[in-house]
Amino acid sequence: MDVKGRLWKLLSFVVALPGVAVCMLNAVLKNAHEPAEFVPYDHLRIRTKPFPWGDGNHTLFHNSHVNPLPTGYEK
Amino acid sequence: MAHQAHAYHMVDPSPWPLTGATAALLMTSGLAIWFHFHSLLLLYLGLTLLLLTMIQWWRDIIREGTFQGHHTPPVQKGLRYGMILFITSEVFFFLGFFWAFYHSSLAPTPELGGCWPPTGINPLDPFKVPLLNTAVLLASGVTVTWAHHSLMEGNRKEAIQALTLTIILGVYFTSLQAMEYYEAPFTIADGVYGATFYVATGFHGLHVIIGSTFLAVCLMRQIQYHFTSEHHFGFEAAAWYWHFVDVVWLFLYVSIYWWGS
Repeated sequence: MDVKGRLWKLLSFVVALPGVAVCMLNAVLKNAHEPAEFVPYDHLRIRTKPFPWGDGNHTLFHNSHVNPLPTGYEK
Repeated sequence: MAHQAHAYHMVDPSPWPLTGATAALLMTSGLAIWFHFHSLLLLYLGLTLLLLTMIQWWRDIIREGTFQGHHTPPVQKGLRYGMILFITSEVFFFLGFFWAFYHSSLAPTPELGGCWPPTGINPLDPFKVPLLNTAVLLASGVTVTWAHHSLMEGNRKEAIQALTLTIILGVYFTSLQAMEYYEAPFTIADGVYGATFYVATGFHGLHVIIGSTFLAVCLMRQIQYHFTSEHHFGFEAAAWYWHFVDVVWLFLYVSIYWWGS
């Protein structure tokens, strides 16, 4: 019997994928936000030892627009 | 000609457990050497050996099961127990990271500002990309179920379609997460918030990649007629693993992304 296969195929195309589409729309409609003001908090931007790559001061997914270094945003 | 008087599989001697253990040694020591002496050689050797071990070991299992018929019902039962036990061990692995997260977030220390999220942390909006990620993984759980029923009903074409769709959704999740990692205003070095967030979601992302790869191997095997409507345990194991990855995400989403914001 192919009933279950047809059921899950239907659920895939009528519920699951449209659900993804709706969430895509919702996510894409985000408003651009300015990067937060830099405050040199002690409990953030921890550098106990240098990272083993680059200059040792940048995280792996570093993005200079939104990730300040311990000394502040890079110019 | 010798015949076995039992239904079990007495496996032929194999070098892959040894090469796997050697790879583990090379990767662990390689990581330490990289941290302290800046050489990546040992780590690369270990990763290469790991890749070769996995390819050849699992290739041999496919040969033994699909081509040589060694996976009788009792053998398959043992493989099922094995996969369930493995996934259970992975559950405990993630439990540790959730423990770390709740330990830190339920009683935030004065150094963080006595609040959660800590002072200076702007968490991601849980109802934007994280919600999309949730929809993507839930949808992939539906499509992998469609694939399974297609397989059981002997519907070759739809099994291939559904499995392909599942893998596409998995890759989509991974690319969305990579983008989120790049765009996030907080990093792994941002105190215990960053540490718990990136270690927990990072290991989850690695499991999504592993699960997507497992499903992709199943797709290749399905295309090459390895699976029958009655016997397709490799696919079932991949589907169980995929559902596990989905459930871990749901816990991550509710705990870290939603409650933790």
